[in-house]
Amino acid sequence: MIKSHISLRNKDILGLETMSAAEMNLILDTAKEMKNIIDRDIKKAPTLRGKSIINLFFENSTRTRTSFELAGKYLGADVVNISTSTSSVAKGESLRDTLLTVEAMGVDIIVMRHEAEGSAQFAANIAKPVIINAGDGAHEHPTQGLLDMFTIKQYKGNIAGLKVAIVGDILHSRVARSNIWGLLKMGAEVHVAGPQTLLPRGLEQVGVTVHYRVEDALDQADVVNVLRIQRERQQKGLFPSAREYARIFGVNAKRLALAKQDALLMHPGPMNRGLEIAPDVAYGEQSAIQEQVKNGLAVRMALLFLVLMGGTHIEAAN
Amino acid sequence: MKLLIKGGRIINPAEQMDMTGDIVIEQGKIVAIGQNLTADGGQVIEAAGLVVAPGLIDMHVHLREPGLEAKEDIASGTRAAAAGGFTTVACMPNTKPVVDNSILVSGLIQRGQTEGVVNLKIIGALSKGLEGKELAEIGDMIAAGAVAISDDGGHLDSTRLLKTGLEYTGMFQRPVITHSEDEELAGEGYMHEGAVSAMLGIKGRPAVAEDIAVARDIMLAEYANSPIHIAHVSSKGAVEIIRQAKRRGVKVTAETTPHHLTLTDEELKSFNTAFKVNPPLRSADHREALIAGLKDGTLDAIATDHAPHAFEEKDVEFRYAPSGFAGLETALGVVLTGLYHTKKLTLMEVIDKMSYAPAKILGLESGVLKVGAPADITIIDTEYKWDVNCINFYTRGKHSPFEGRNFKGKALITIVNGSIIMQNGEVLK
Ligand SMILES: [Zn+2]
Ligand SMILES: [Zn+2]
Repeated sequence: MIKSHISLRNKDILGLETMSAAEMNLILDTAKEMKNIIDRDIKKAPTLRGKSIINLFFENSTRTRTSFELAGKYLGADVVNISTSTSSVAKGESLRDTLLTVEAMGVDIIVMRHEAEGSAQFAANIAKPVIINAGDGAHEHPTQGLLDMFTIKQYKGNIAGLKVAIVGDILHSRVARSNIWGLLKMGAEVHVAGPQTLLPRGLEQVGVTVHYRVEDALDQADVVNVLRIQRERQQKGLFPSAREYARIFGVNAKRLALAKQDALLMHPGPMNRGLEIAPDVAYGEQSAIQEQVKNGLAVRMALLFLVLMGGTHIEAAN
Repeated sequence: MKLLIKGGRIINPAEQMDMTGDIVIEQGKIVAIGQNLTADGGQVIEAAGLVVAPGLIDMHVHLREPGLEAKEDIASGTRAAAAGGFTTVACMPNTKPVVDNSILVSGLIQRGQTEGVVNLKIIGALSKGLEGKELAEIGDMIAAGAVAISDDGGHLDSTRLLKTGLEYTGMFQRPVITHSEDEELAGEGYMHEGAVSAMLGIKGRPAVAEDIAVARDIMLAEYANSPIHIAHVSSKGAVEIIRQAKRRGVKVTAETTPHHLTLTDEELKSFNTAFKVNPPLRSADHREALIAGLKDGTLDAIATDHAPHAFEEKDVEFRYAPSGFAGLETALGVVLTGLYHTKKLTLMEVIDKMSYAPAKILGLESGVLKVGAPADITIIDTEYKWDVNCINFYTRGKHSPFEGRNFKGKALITIVNGSIIMQNGEVLK
């Protein structure tokens, strides 16, 4: 039961940088109740009946799009998917036009994924419906950040004081940025590790500890969050070979043993097994990777509910 | 017909003169400076409480004519200049076609006389078509009136061509103006590389890309023993490299911009494309170094790099927006508000950096207040309070990072060749 009277401050969900710890807690608490719905035989709740959601994806992501789609449907909303690419049309103008077209159709929420950083902010400035950022370039992916925090809380009870290691390609990762903001606000100690070529300069200034040795980040860690490495980075010369990456930076059983015994292993997926993560580890006992997917659904249901219904209790809204 | 400017505070950096007095203008020239002068029935401007300065000179603007008139043309650009208190602007050659031959230089000078309301000076391209491969007809362009040579708009990759260009241009005692930023190193980025870009996920343009290019360009100028002018300096490393070069006598001058002096990359957190500019807005330590560089003379001039774009071009996601924005109408307000009223620069220094210094660099006879000099004068109210509203700009570029800001200080009157062309914000021609 949610006793809190807190509601979300902003109309839109653009990132965790601008979200308070209280708001994040509200979302995580709501997600807990939503998770119960997923476990029911009959999953449909009539909460968002009559509401419409558009998944506007300029970049492919079956995983995130499906999660948002099911989240909307489980709560009784009408969900439409639009997948389009930015390269086939004149860039900026098309985004404005597309948004205004979608708005004219009377949708309540636009879930948007786009390759350009700040595109969610751009959309929020233009369109009246609620904008939920499902990933804007390398900037933020707030629902992934929230589901990661939800998963940590589920296993660890609390986030404050934990040592969380984020390993891999931080430079190009919107997941990393949302995690960093979220975890820092919730009081975790955030360590990042990877080759220097995949770590943006200046992270220390935000309050993150930067390592170039994965071992140092993993040492006594409570949570190890491994990020996906895109092979294009290798073609761009940011690391010499997949083999070398796996050997020096890959998370394997030996490295994971440096973390606390009950350390949680996470990965936003999809994984490159044998590159950033060893297969035995990915499916090992410490892995929460499957649970993350389920939690993603719960968090997205919670968000859809909160942005449309405010901070009131779920049952009351029913 | 005489024009008398009465009782103003006359500031003339050429002679370090700062006094209250009168100026008489006749037939486009200053004919007297002194006390208790009379107009003999001519027009009188009461300037008590106002600053009377040599007309402001912006040595780095993009007026987009020929070919890109949807962004700006000579008529709109020079009106914006007049509104901002400028009496002379020098425009960069990165137009369509590129200004890389004497016919275009002459043509633009003529267009300036018919369409322009302030003095228009032309900067010719260093390489044909700005392609960075072959020298443009530099000698011919200078003979036709080009005041400097530059491939601005981008970095000149070819070290060999820059060496040749400096040697060749140096013969005519004209500067090469460089846009110094190693494009290969900075190329993928579209903001300053640092803590802010790290968390926005935007690819950065590292300051070292500018430092390296400035070092290269200065070494070539030193080797060629030719004058070089570094445009829009934005990094602390570049300031230090220029400082050292000046100490050992290299013929180097440099400018920085009102925006690099007053804004930082923190502004980009809004993803507002008005803040997208090249070189990018950098962190506060760089900005402090620029101010120190201006103060100790390492940086000679303040220039706007006025780079207007059509509204819809900037009204897109940050990544896709072109770099640059309109600067002519805000420059003086920015400098007076951000540097003079905060006591970082004296009024004498402001007028020097925005008038006398650029005149010297470009070899102009304006930028001074003395008998016989052209009557290009800007009358400034340093206390005038106003709000920036881009919609009211004369320029076609309706984007400014200063939109909505409150400024203290403004040009009230712009006089070009003895005639008043702007009064109280309104361009009269
Ligand atoms: Zn430039
Ligand atoms: Zn320029």
